[in-house]
Amino acid sequence: MSQSLRPYLQCVRASLTAALALSDFASQTSERHNVPEIEAQSSPELLLNPLTISRNENEKVLIEPSVNSVRLSIRIKQSDEIEHILVHKFTRFLTQRAESFFILRRKPVKGYDISFLVCNAHTEAMLKHKLVDFIIQFMEEVDKEISEMKLFLNARARFVAESFLTPFD
Amino acid sequence: MSQLNYRTINIDVLDPESSVNFPMVTLLPPNLPPPETSSDAANVANQVRQLLRSGDSEGALRHVLDTAPLGGDDRAKEVHMAAVIDVLQGIRQSEMTRVLEGVCSGEGGSERADCLMKYLYKGMSSPGPSSGAQSPHKSMSPQSTGGFSQIQARNLGEGGGGQQMSVLLSWHEKLVELTGTGSIVRVMTDRRTV
Amino acid sequence: MLLLDYQNVLIQSLLTERFSGAPPVSIDQVVSDFDGVTFHLSTPESKTKILISINVKCFPELVQYNAQQVLEREYGPYIVAPEPGYDFSVLIDLENLPAEQEARDELIMKLALMKRNAMAAPFEKAFDEFAKLAEEASRYTSESAPQGIKEGGEVMAIHYREEEAIYIKASFDRVTVIFSTVFREETDRIFGKVFLQEFVDARRRVLTLQNAPQVLFRNDPPLELEGVPGLQRSAEDKISYVTFVLFPRHLTPQRRYENISHIQIFRDYFHYHIKASKAYIHTRMRKRTADFLQVLNRARPENEERERKTASGRTFRVQG
Repeated sequence: MSQSLRPYLQCVRASLTAALALSDFASQTSERHNVPEIEAQSSPELLLNPLTISRNENEKVLIEPSVNSVRLSIRIKQSDEIEHILVHKFTRFLTQRAESFFILRRKPVKGYDISFLVCNAHTEAMLKHKLVDFIIQFMEEVDKEISEMKLFLNARARFVAESFLTPFD
Repeated sequence: MSQLNYRTINIDVLDPESSVNFPMVTLLPPNLPPPETSSDAANVANQVRQLLRSGDSEGALRHVLDTAPLGGDDRAKEVHMAAVIDVLQGIRQSEMTRVLEGVCSGEGGSERADCLMKYLYKGMSSPGPSSGAQSPHKSMSPQSTGGFSQIQARNLGEGGGGQQMSVLLSWHEKLVELTGTGSIVRVMTDRRTV
Repeated sequence: MLLLDYQNVLIQSLLTERFSGAPPVSIDQVVSDFDGVTFHLSTPESKTKILISINVKCFPELVQYNAQQVLEREYGPYIVAPEPGYDFSVLIDLENLPAEQEARDELIMKLALMKRNAMAAPFEKAFDEFAKLAEEASRYTSESAPQGIKEGGEVMAIHYREEEAIYIKASFDRVTVIFSTVFREETDRIFGKVFLQEFVDARRRVLTLQNAPQVLFRNDPPLELEGVPGLQRSAEDKISYVTFVLFPRHLTPQRRYENISHIQIFRDYFHYHIKASKAYIHTRMRKRTADFLQVLNRARPENEERERKTASGRTFRVQG
């Protein structure tokens, strides 16, 4: 693991652990409703100060806590066009399967590549520290996966080009 | 007025009793320090830099955290924040733990710890001074290498502001070791922002 | 399968079976190939006479560049009048095949290569033109060469697909082949760029490829195509122009046949590998997503759904 990646993930881990203190909270505006307040934004009283954790300009995590839900958005590093398209494809692939991911938000928050929405229902049904583990592992693996896909693409392109040009000789 | 589509008006906003219009000022404690201006903050910054130059990094950090402009305007907060970042960057990695232990002990120690935590998050949310408003789409072309290989190691190049962020991240790590996650929770819940 | 075959495998296998002496049956089959080329194999008169017809989108253009002569050379005795709706037809009489197995295989291969042969005409013309120009140029020093020789022959355009074309131009020291290719979507464009960059770099990087054709690519029409009508420019880099520069060593009569076949399949080969990479990356993502799901599911506590029984041994079922 790269030197500056560890404190970054450590910081996300600590912040997320702190933010995932959620309680059931019925909507103040409509009776018999119970909605994630961070999405509804129905009262400033229920929203807490958002936290930003950034490793550099291109790698950031935004944690927006509220009384009964936390929204976590990740900006994944993309240093060139290829990585940009790979990140885009991958996050799209994931969000299309948001149903089975429970906490995945279908649409990322503006300025970020992928968002998660954790509600009190999730923290009640699932183990909180494992949820945090999941997010951390996700961040690690996504980075690795993008790198590997890019390397694969380059390697394949190189091999394909050489194989085509060889018979001419 | 007849053109207005009344269905799209959010009437809750017009109701002073509505939760959307919750008076946020009531969440602030009454003992808020008096409002500060940016020139006050600049004065503090000068004192702090002097302390830092004289080698008293612990005193500098203590002072800068004690004088945080909780009631100041945005400009004052910005100036003060720059001073805090300067202090944090001026302290060597090996001294962090010692300085922190000193600053966060004694009277008002835990307040200072919380205040430092607020500054760490604020520091990370604002773009670094070196980076500016660089768009990620710039210099995004595989051709730019021009050499024999397009393959670059991804984790070598740090994006803009990487240096400052890594300092803040180390401070964060040390501070969490000392205070636990409670301090982070207080950053989220405290309406007195820095 | 890394390199694509030059011949049409379906025609090849179909004819191999027919030629092997199996009892004749009636055939009526439409076979498609790359670049929108279609074949029609049928037995209109009797089961032993197979009619093979080809439809190429740019056949009128190919005819301009001597395609008819090339096809006559290849299929001379078998040629019949083209079937309606097709551009060129041959008729094979199963009762009148060459006796030796080798000759038969050769005939099958030749028929399966019909698309290649039709498309080869402009290339052959360019190669001949090159030989002529080189011959003329050798009589002059480079300064005194007349204008016509320096500039080389006219640009031959073959619009073999809806929006894509091959341009061929002969000069006294080279033959330039330019492919214009369209990327339908953003991912293809970026993947294509990576691939093309490797084509460009391969020659410099690998010692054994020093003698390969030079490859260049750009998004606006190259200088060679100046004044050619019907060129498309696109603002979003959707079109790429890939230039192959074939040097005299690639144009010798010995290398000629192989190289013409090979350069023809460039476009299909290139796009095929872009699609293959996309497919691979897709499967990778699928697998990785499954891994993520597994990690997430670890967060769900084990469901302790043990069967509960009453004293008398009856079980409860929770009403869902």
